[in-house]
Amino acid sequence: MSFFLLITRNVWSKKARSIGLTFAVAFAVLTVVTLGVTSSGLEQSAAAIISVGKADFTVVQKDVSDTLASTIDTQQLAGLRHTPGVTSAVGVLVEIEHINADNPVFIEIGISPGDFAGFGVRVVAGSAYAPTAAHEVMLGWRAAANLGLHVGSRFDANGTWNTVTGIYSTGNAFGDAGAMFPLPAIQGYNRVPGIVTLAFVKVAPGTSVAAVTRRVAFAQPVLTTIRTAAQFGRADRDLIYLQAAVTGSTVLAILIGAVIVGNTMLLSLFERTHEFGLMRAVGWTRRRMVALLLGESLLLALMGAALGVALSFAVAAGLAHLPALKGVLHPNFTEDVFWRALYTALGMTLIGALYPTIRAALLSPLKALSYE
Amino acid sequence: MSESIDRQLAIDVKGVTRVFPGRVTALAGLDLNVRYGEMVAITGPSGCGKSTLLNILAAIDSPTSGSVIVAGHDLAHIHDLSGYRRHEVGLVFQLHNLLPQLSTLSNVELPMFGCGWSAHQRRTRALELLAEVDLSGCEQRLPTELSGGERQRVAIARALANEPKILLADEPTGSLDSASTARFLDLLKRLESGGMTIVMVTHAPDVAANAQRVIEMRDGTVVNESVAK
Repeated sequence: MSFFLLITRNVWSKKARSIGLTFAVAFAVLTVVTLGVTSSGLEQSAAAIISVGKADFTVVQKDVSDTLASTIDTQQLAGLRHTPGVTSAVGVLVEIEHINADNPVFIEIGISPGDFAGFGVRVVAGSAYAPTAAHEVMLGWRAAANLGLHVGSRFDANGTWNTVTGIYSTGNAFGDAGAMFPLPAIQGYNRVPGIVTLAFVKVAPGTSVAAVTRRVAFAQPVLTTIRTAAQFGRADRDLIYLQAAVTGSTVLAILIGAVIVGNTMLLSLFERTHEFGLMRAVGWTRRRMVALLLGESLLLALMGAALGVALSFAVAAGLAHLPALKGVLHPNFTEDVFWRALYTALGMTLIGALYPTIRAALLSPLKALSYE
Repeated sequence: MSESIDRQLAIDVKGVTRVFPGRVTALAGLDLNVRYGEMVAITGPSGCGKSTLLNILAAIDSPTSGSVIVAGHDLAHIHDLSGYRRHEVGLVFQLHNLLPQLSTLSNVELPMFGCGWSAHQRRTRALELLAEVDLSGCEQRLPTELSGGERQRVAIARALANEPKILLADEPTGSLDSASTARFLDLLKRLESGGMTIVMVTHAPDVAANAQRVIEMRDGTVVNESVAK
């Protein structure tokens, strides 16, 4: 019998305890992984907005609670366009509208047709709307397919009917699942004339993007630049709060799990005192006792982690279909999430098992053998 | 200390006392010598200190004072008591103390962990030992599937796992019927004839009569010694 087999037999022989501990670990992992994948999905969805335009970087108002609450006025946009090294700065107004139950978070972008090329928009059917048209719209090809609309259809948005003049493609799934309106029209609908939400900036070939972003930051301190999704938190405080909540919940889950594991292991120590005494009496070293007990804990942690990740797939999929989260939440199972699951399971199990393991290793063989 | 070690003696106990908390004296200046290859029975009434003596010899308890030298090791100066328990002595308890979740074979393998043996070597050795105690064919049975006598023979096989010089048995026949006791004693005699030093604590005079020497204890000290055969 190998040492590993001895560990598995011990774990298997105490089925109720092992199953209970596995589920305790699994629920903690489930909590951590589900929070991780949902926050990561929300972050990805939110950050997708900045990647719609084919830009070197995006400019938004600094420290807003939500990126879509960002406001950049005409003067700031002009200032961006005149920043040395900037070749174009496309201002767009972005809003989210509930279209129907299947499209609760529909992205609508106000943009001038003259900026389509700079924004990476390609008209694939029909034609672009007129720059100042009041009731014209272009649909992304995914949105058109989802809504069953085509060129010439009428599209109800912003409280009015709009004629679909064309279908566009941006090469970005998030952008292609939305609609584009003439900028003055959508500014009018939202009563924010001259205001845009984001500015998509391109720099001159051969120019350092980092240098240009520094110039923008220096010239316009109320604005911030975003080059990657990871920098998204600079503008969106909600995301920072969400990440903090996830970190806090992870720590809490580990601590609660560790207490449960520790409590169960301590009960197990009392239950197995005689067994530990026997092992010490037949010559087992303290180190080997520790290896045995930590090995059992490790096995339970791995089983709990596997079960927790499996459960989190089901829970995250279920959450994504909730009406309140449909279209917003796209669970994002990255490699990082699986590592976090493993760390959580190992962390809580090892923390929880530490004290009972030390106590077991320090047991006097005689007292342990006399223990009833 | 080493200059006082008598290499002819398997066990050399001098002036050993053991006082438990509450001033309960279990051993009171006990002296005892056991030669290599000797089978000794220790008898006496309950509470006379027989098991305490055996626990001290097995290094699972330590004396309050006095000197205990076993197989040439002064127990007061051993740092690695686990190694001593693993290699120098084999311990058989009254109630066998087999782990119920492990098979007969695995129970015998238990003391061999940490001896540097491979899983295959442990298994081979355990199979040999089970054959030696006439339990071939019972390898995969759980302790609950064995009779009391069979369990005690498994306990002997486990005690012999690391080829100890000395076998310590605490009331090994206390829970056995007469047939199982007879079979168990046959096994001890076989071990004795093979050169094993055996110290057995027993209440039963007929069991003690199988030893070369019977030591009678009372109130924590030796009161009588007799040659049984």
